[in-house]
Amino acid sequence: AGTIVHPKATIFAIAGPIVIGSGCIIEEGAIIVNRRKEVMRIGDDNLFEIGCRVESPTVGNCNTICTRARVHHTLRISSYCVVGAGVLVVPTEDEMLDEYTVIYGPAAERRVWSGRGKVQEMDLRRKHAEYLREMLPKFNRLRRGDGA
Amino acid sequence: MAPKIEYYCPCLSESPHPPPPNRPSSSYSFHPLHNLFFCEECDAVRCNRCVSVEVSGYYCPNCLFEVPSASVRAEKNRCARNCFLCPNCRNTLTVVPSDPPEDVDSRMSPIVSTTLGEPPFFLYCNHCRWDSAEVGITFEKPTGLAAQLQKFEDSAPESLEFERLKEHFEPFLRASSSSSALPSASSHHVHTNPITAAASSALARDIPGVGKYNPLSRSRVGREKGAHRQEYPDYKSRVEVGTALSGEADVEFLRHLETVSQVAALEQRWTNSWVSPLSASDLKPLRIPLQSKKSKRCPSCRHILIKPEQKAQSVRFKIKLVAANYLPAIAVTLPHAQAAIEMLKRTSKTTSAAAQAEEQQAAGALIAGHSYSFHLAFTNPLYDPIQIRLAKAIAPAQTAEGDEAAERARRSTFQIQLPSAAFPVGAFAEAWEYDDEDEAMFLDDDGMEVVEARGKKGKDGRGKTRSVGIVEKRANVTIVSGEVLIPKEARGDVKFNMLVSYTYRSDDPEPSEEAQTGTPSRSHGANKGPEMKNFSFYTVVDLGSIMYREEPKLTADL
Repeated sequence: AGTIVHPKATIFAIAGPIVIGSGCIIEEGAIIVNRRKEVMRIGDDNLFEIGCRVESPTVGNCNTICTRARVHHTLRISSYCVVGAGVLVVPTEDEMLDEYTVIYGPAAERRVWSGRGKVQEMDLRRKHAEYLREMLPKFNRLRRGDGA
Repeated sequence: MAPKIEYYCPCLSESPHPPPPNRPSSSYSFHPLHNLFFCEECDAVRCNRCVSVEVSGYYCPNCLFEVPSASVRAEKNRCARNCFLCPNCRNTLTVVPSDPPEDVDSRMSPIVSTTLGEPPFFLYCNHCRWDSAEVGITFEKPTGLAAQLQKFEDSAPESLEFERLKEHFEPFLRASSSSSALPSASSHHVHTNPITAAASSALARDIPGVGKYNPLSRSRVGREKGAHRQEYPDYKSRVEVGTALSGEADVEFLRHLETVSQVAALEQRWTNSWVSPLSASDLKPLRIPLQSKKSKRCPSCRHILIKPEQKAQSVRFKIKLVAANYLPAIAVTLPHAQAAIEMLKRTSKTTSAAAQAEEQQAAGALIAGHSYSFHLAFTNPLYDPIQIRLAKAIAPAQTAEGDEAAERARRSTFQIQLPSAAFPVGAFAEAWEYDDEDEAMFLDDDGMEVVEARGKKGKDGRGKTRSVGIVEKRANVTIVSGEVLIPKEARGDVKFNMLVSYTYRSDDPEPSEEAQTGTPSRSHGANKGPEMKNFSFYTVVDLGSIMYREEPKLTADL
């Protein structure tokens, strides 16, 4: 309900099912892969930016996985996390990211966000989703019958 | 280890000959073509090392606002507007309003009440999500932040101390500068800024061992200065120096450290001019330092080589005398390496990227005991056709350690064969003006000493291009091939200096043609009308390292 998936995004439920919540935005070139047999659950209001690759078995709410980030399948993401652009998050053992964690920089440093500004960010995301909902059908050449 | 070619800039040295390329120190004299400039007056190549640089303007890299040089000093080289640097990740900070108060649950809350948002505003980094509220800096208005921060800066203990110091020394500075006999300009200093007064009297200070320069009578000034010096009372600082600068607070902090990340990293601290706090959580946002636009001049004739535009956002130049517009661009390729790479690509498609890179390197390697041909592609930037002549550079006389050592050295180095006759390169013109390509290809190679070397299109390494000569001529590019013979005992890099000289017809009423190579020659003649001009430069051609193998792993098709 309300999730936007770009036509060029890839959702690979190879081994197990993937459940995606409402209000998520999956942008172009994003790859969501589930190679495990368990269900991969993704929460609400997440933003998967262009070119990112997510294999994490659990993703919470209101996260942002920035452009070209790569998240390993050993990492579980909780809510309100941000994985920065181009960051490769590969922990060696199973790990769970706390809420409000930000991972940034080429060496994947972490720090905790104070949560300030999250209302505005959620607002922005909702506006982003609405805009995409209007615009994408107009430009989708494969489904021209529906949109125009 | 791809083969490359670099150009030599003599950098105003006396001998025009370049140093032998195998010495590691000589790599500083050689530059790729895009780093070089060309002075038309002196007719010489200039590189970044010998050019004189001056600042042409300052701008803020964030807001692209050009700062007039007068305010640069006033604002201490920082942007005066709202541009700040995140202390954590050194990205730019944005000014952000706080969240509106949440009374209802956020799911259905309306859009933020006003477009400007609500106070208090704070700085926020989009990349690492740091915000200035963590260090306690908030603003009431979203603009003019620098002024609001100025209050904080001024109340820092260091700047208060500095102010007190200035006040303390001011009367003495005025007294000493007014009584000094320096040229009349100093008498105006009585009413100026104490900083300038301090600077000028520091210049006039007594330096032991150096006689004081004084256009007027010396002894009078010396005596007066000495008298004044004894009248300085002691300066009482505001804070006890011992405790302020002692590291006790720092030691305590370090003792209670839990993780390394609590200490501020070096990159985070050194942009700050003052001593910055040790702990990462205390780092304050900094105003963004200004960057400068520079213009470059030729060191000998002071002609401007590079002059950027005044606008900060434009990357173009008003004057741009780069060497690429005058010197032919040369590209070196090893045809056997390319052929091997093609074969590899076609056969193995599933090897990983790292393995492929290694194989490509191995394919291009120069194996001792073989001889390889290499291609040099010359691109002519001028609007006239030119004639290029290549020569091996003569190394300057080296001290011989002994006859035997020199003999061995000479035997074990590689031999180069270059086409020795002059070959033309066509003029540069727009793409649609060129004649049909086939016409140029069938031109006869006159004056070639060696067996003709006309391979089809020249890119195919399997063609019979073993010998030396022109390979291909197309539009304004000519490809010639040379040969390198590597004896079995050779080691190291295959690098040799090559002298390239070319003659071109110019419209200036300049001198007669000189067939000499070796130095940029321009004899002054009285002839009018278009004449041939001559220019030459040295380059170093690096073909890669010699790899020693018993038998070749890949059958290079030669």
